[in-house]
Amino acid sequence: MWHGEAIDRRGFLKAAGIAFTAALAPRSLMAFERADAVYASGFKAPDGSFGVATVSERGEIIDRVALPARAHGLAYSAATGRTVAFARRPGTFAMVFDPSRLAEPVIITSPEGRHFYGHGHFSPDGTRLYASENDFDGNRGMIGVYDARDKFRRIGEFDAHGIGTHDMTVSDDGKLLVIANGGIETHPDFGRTKLNIDRMEPSLVLLDAKTGALIQRHRLPSSLKQLSTRHLDITDNGRIWFACQWEGARNALPPLAGWFSKGEDLSFVSLPRETTVRLGNYVGAIAVNRRDGVVGLTSPGGGAVVTLDAETGAVVKEETVREAAGVAPATHGIAVSSYDGQFNDTRSAVAWDQHIVRLG
Amino acid sequence: MRKILLAGLVSLLPVAALAQEGDAAPSVDLPMADVTRVMAAAVDGFIRPGYDAFHESAGRMTAAMKALCEAPSRTNYDAAKNAFRDAAVSWAHIEVVRVGPVIEHNRFERILFYPDRKSTGLKQVQSVLSKADETATDPLSLGTKSVAMQGFGALEYVLAGSGSDELLRGKQSFRCRYGAAVAGNIANVAKELSDIWDDPNGIQKAWEQPGPDNPNFRTGGEAITALLGILVHGAEAVRDQRIETFYKGADKAKFPKQALFWRSENTWATVKGNLEGLAILLEKSGMVSLLQEKDRPIVAATQAQLKSMIELSGKITPDLEKAVENAAERKKLDTLLADGKGVISKLNDGYGGAIGLSSGFSFADGD
Repeated sequence: MWHGEAIDRRGFLKAAGIAFTAALAPRSLMAFERADAVYASGFKAPDGSFGVATVSERGEIIDRVALPARAHGLAYSAATGRTVAFARRPGTFAMVFDPSRLAEPVIITSPEGRHFYGHGHFSPDGTRLYASENDFDGNRGMIGVYDARDKFRRIGEFDAHGIGTHDMTVSDDGKLLVIANGGIETHPDFGRTKLNIDRMEPSLVLLDAKTGALIQRHRLPSSLKQLSTRHLDITDNGRIWFACQWEGARNALPPLAGWFSKGEDLSFVSLPRETTVRLGNYVGAIAVNRRDGVVGLTSPGGGAVVTLDAETGAVVKEETVREAAGVAPATHGIAVSSYDGQFNDTRSAVAWDQHIVRLG
Repeated sequence: MRKILLAGLVSLLPVAALAQEGDAAPSVDLPMADVTRVMAAAVDGFIRPGYDAFHESAGRMTAAMKALCEAPSRTNYDAAKNAFRDAAVSWAHIEVVRVGPVIEHNRFERILFYPDRKSTGLKQVQSVLSKADETATDPLSLGTKSVAMQGFGALEYVLAGSGSDELLRGKQSFRCRYGAAVAGNIANVAKELSDIWDDPNGIQKAWEQPGPDNPNFRTGGEAITALLGILVHGAEAVRDQRIETFYKGADKAKFPKQALFWRSENTWATVKGNLEGLAILLEKSGMVSLLQEKDRPIVAATQAQLKSMIELSGKITPDLEKAVENAAERKKLDTLLADGKGVISKLNDGYGGAIGLSSGFSFADGD
């Protein structure tokens, strides 16, 4: 997820350097010059290959980087310009690349006994990269810690204090790691099979970013044991928004999003019945637009994008977007992509993957 | 546990006034009558008969084990091994259904604990045999023990592992009675599954009649997507879990003793069973009828490739050491892997795309 004040195309250009635009094809350069914001997202090409693309706010593809397999979440450091695409679980690679192409990509491979869960985040100064990982034989989520100043060497790991760790982020001051443990056990021997749907243990956790010490853990009550807490973003006042996927009875109407802050209890948003139905009990991505004070949620199966007031949780807007995938803060409102190639105003011949990160 | 608050904040803003209302846009939108027909065919033509057949087969396996324990002989030993193979193949047919009751309460693992890279099952079975733990000779008490020592893997070791000739030496040997209990435990789990699926007001009804009050599928699209998921995941399991576990290619490391049922040389019988299960489900469900005419060749092409794999799997030597070492046998394995990829692609991208999942079945999992 993207934090901090919105920097525009000029900010991104300053970070990327003149060489970036010089290397772009004329059509891409035009897209870039018209862009107010720049995003990155994973995609699947028509030939079945995978990559990550930089994209203008209109949704035009600016540049592409090939990936060895399918990516999932992304992380961006405003301090260094480095962007990371994490392999989809149970993948074992993460590719660090420089959208300006001034630095060679770096491939991080998860260590023996671990695989990536598909998400991670930089420390605010860009010196550390944190990644959600699976200690699959120990059946416990971990946070891998990588030194961005030393070729992303793995320098340690923290216990995520839960299973099925998925999204994670870092507080603006860099002191807290915020972790969504989805509660679902998986093992690479069984591919993506969910092994404990009748025994899930979802939780939301805060760790000390320096020591890994557990600061706060919220387990869900028994009635919500099958509510997988999976994705996160943070508002500028430190409120942590989380989004969920329900693995229980399909005719239940569980809460699908909520928030908490350090030292506070969880609060679930009570969405209108028709909104919950539209989201299909499944929120695939969440993003906060700090400038507008709104939160965007997508549901691929439901074909829905729901925008909430970040302060009250009230529904501000509901849109129908077939196979809605990623969300990110736009200059105003929420940028949205879809599996069938739509990214804001533009349809491209790619399938956009589940997450978008805003680069500038 | 910290207190959970439910924020009743929605009323602060008039939703209807602000929301841009739109119709739902499900990825897969099919006529409900067609969906109901296909789901009913899948349940009544494949899933229920599959579990019923497995239950009966497991019962015959239990009887054969008891007969062996009562009267050890080469004939009864061979009969028990044949009953084991038949039950394993019967399971392989319905094993492709990796959703629903079978993945609840550890039922799947109680029937088959595999893969088992750390040989947990082997260690536990060897421990039971060396200690002659009498509590492991009753199917009910065995059913409360570790899942790694109560399913097909355990029974295979009893029948074909080191020391199996003990089964011929004396009446009611511990090894034989433990094996009979394993068979009885498998039969018990099979009965549970058969009963659950045969309940007319239970899961069969939920699968056949999607709707707003349905605990499994709210829409027809969800139901058909789940049905396609059985095929995609089943095809992936054959390729990734049953073949690539021991053979990933001529230039890769080979682990023939990691294969399922290598001891009893039933690896290919069960791979064939899995593939047959996929083919039968695809045929019996009538899933082809949900496609537009122009897309229907996808199903015929999938069936043709499955048929080719089924035939080929019956032609590979059951001695897996030889299968991975002999160039001609390896060629067959390479073909199986390539064809497996083709089947997955046809189901995932071909059928999935044809019913409305624009980027395929697997891609449409937000994770």
